[in-house]
Amino acid sequence: MDEEMSNSLRRMSTRTRKVAPKMAAALASSDNRTQAILARLEALENDNAGLESVQVDEDDEASLDDDDQAYQKKQSKSTKRKTRQAKALENAKKAPRTFLELLQEANLESLPPHIPTYLRAAVGPPSSTARRHFCTVCGFSANYTCVQCGMRFCSIRCQTIHNDTRCLKFVA
Amino acid sequence: MSNVVVLDNGGGLLKAGFGGERDPTCVVPNCTARPSSSKKWLLADQLLSPTEDLTSATLRRPFDRGHLINPDLQSSLWAHLFTTILKVHPPNTSLLLTEPLFTLPSIQRSVDEIIFEDFNFKALFVSDSPSLVHLYEASRRPYGLVSKAQCSLVVDCGFSFTHAAPVFQNFTLNYGVKRMDLGGKALTNYLKELVSYRSVNVMDESFIMDDVKEKLCFVSLDVQRDLKIARKPGKDNMFRCTYVLPDGVTYMKGFVKDPNEANRYLALDASDPSSPAGEKEYVEQQVVNDKPQDRRSVDLTKNEFTLTNERFLVPEMIFRPADLGMNQAGLAECIVRSVNSCHPHLHPVLYESIILTGGSTLFPRFAERLEKELRPLVPDEFQVKITAQEDPILGVWRGGSLLASSPDFEAMCVTKAEYEELGSARCRRRFLH
Repeated sequence: MDEEMSNSLRRMSTRTRKVAPKMAAALASSDNRTQAILARLEALENDNAGLESVQVDEDDEASLDDDDQAYQKKQSKSTKRKTRQAKALENAKKAPRTFLELLQEANLESLPPHIPTYLRAAVGPPSSTARRHFCTVCGFSANYTCVQCGMRFCSIRCQTIHNDTRCLKFVA
Repeated sequence: MSNVVVLDNGGGLLKAGFGGERDPTCVVPNCTARPSSSKKWLLADQLLSPTEDLTSATLRRPFDRGHLINPDLQSSLWAHLFTTILKVHPPNTSLLLTEPLFTLPSIQRSVDEIIFEDFNFKALFVSDSPSLVHLYEASRRPYGLVSKAQCSLVVDCGFSFTHAAPVFQNFTLNYGVKRMDLGGKALTNYLKELVSYRSVNVMDESFIMDDVKEKLCFVSLDVQRDLKIARKPGKDNMFRCTYVLPDGVTYMKGFVKDPNEANRYLALDASDPSSPAGEKEYVEQQVVNDKPQDRRSVDLTKNEFTLTNERFLVPEMIFRPADLGMNQAGLAECIVRSVNSCHPHLHPVLYESIILTGGSTLFPRFAERLEKELRPLVPDEFQVKITAQEDPILGVWRGGSLLASSPDFEAMCVTKAEYEELGSARCRRRFLH
């Protein structure tokens, strides 16, 4: 029974909506605009289209269990589950951490101010706050801002497209 | 053959070869990928083989934001590199490795562990890329300013980030280094995002979009003017061009539909009198293009997409990251701040010896645009001189090769015995960073 449950759960999890974690956070947050910008910048550093890489091998196995394979599966299940659990624990231990985690761990703020560090080498904010705005739909210079999400558009045509496809829809 | 392996371990590409040679033995992507059709992860050079179908491949990189975060993956990539590509026996070999500036001590420790404990290298020397670039440029022009003043400003615009680093007497002045968190990877992802939203979903196609970026993007010298041109319909639009995606049947690789069309923009800023040649070519090509049925209409059944203003708005972000919502200054300002944090006596020399390196400086007209942006920010009495390296991707490696072949290289290394006695942290002090 228990196994059945976990199996069905796993099945569902493979079909989750494609929402990046930062995007999900942005949805929950009250300050949509800044969160959306941060999420977007974060997405620029991702390797695989904003989705965290999942344990794909396990998903593949879960999606394989058709009727003819059910018998085989049941036989090996008890032993396999243990190894899987052990594997998962092991993976969690040595899973690669993100650079930001490593950076926090290094505790660079505690160093005296005369030592150049990663944090102090950042170039810092621009001297002029003026920024050009480009239409998020067509790319030309945009004079208007969406009242809901703060993204830019240049014309009524682009506004309609924006409202239909992108406005506050953080689905990748 | 020299027994020093030079390894420029970039976030995007691994450049590896033997010290003393002119070119590296291999330049391979520093990542592993699994094509959607198979379960096997392909390493480094296997990704370059023409038979592999890399559409929608899942990617894993050992680097995040330019720093090593996955030592296990890096170690397996290196193992593949040393055994099957370079075919070296580490216990008889020394290694010259490049590391990003300001690498965290925890990362340095894990790198040392891999090199001395997993691979058992005889000796290790760790260097940073700006000093190697400086070394190479100084040796190329023994009577140039760079080598006479022993001082240069290296602008390294690579895969993960961009550094402006002053180098003085072969040492990078780390207090003067300024970093922008924007590099080739972010640009590719930005292009991916734009194309996916506007025409075809290519969010999973990192390799293809890298190719699109390299072939079609360029730096605009006048954004407002170019935006106006990009708005024009039909043939007046010098920027419109079409890229055909691979369909897995007839084309295994994506390609630019009409290379002539893609290069039309070059005629725009050709101010020298030789431009009529380009003009003629343009007219001639127009005639040719009238014959086949209209290429402008995008056929949705064929997988292709058209780029116009994306071609220059993407590299534009290096010059104005603020446009992207990033709270960082652009490249020109980055250079000025880097110079200003050095001793005033160095300022004139630094401005006159700016060296561009890194793959993202390969965008056409990158240097011209940078000069145009930089000139108003620099005091009038100083000259601005920007040199682009002849091969910006290999520049760092060549400097490393040069250093590895110098007679006192062995003396600068940390040997395995020293590492075992002193540990990572104290050995690292020898490299002065």
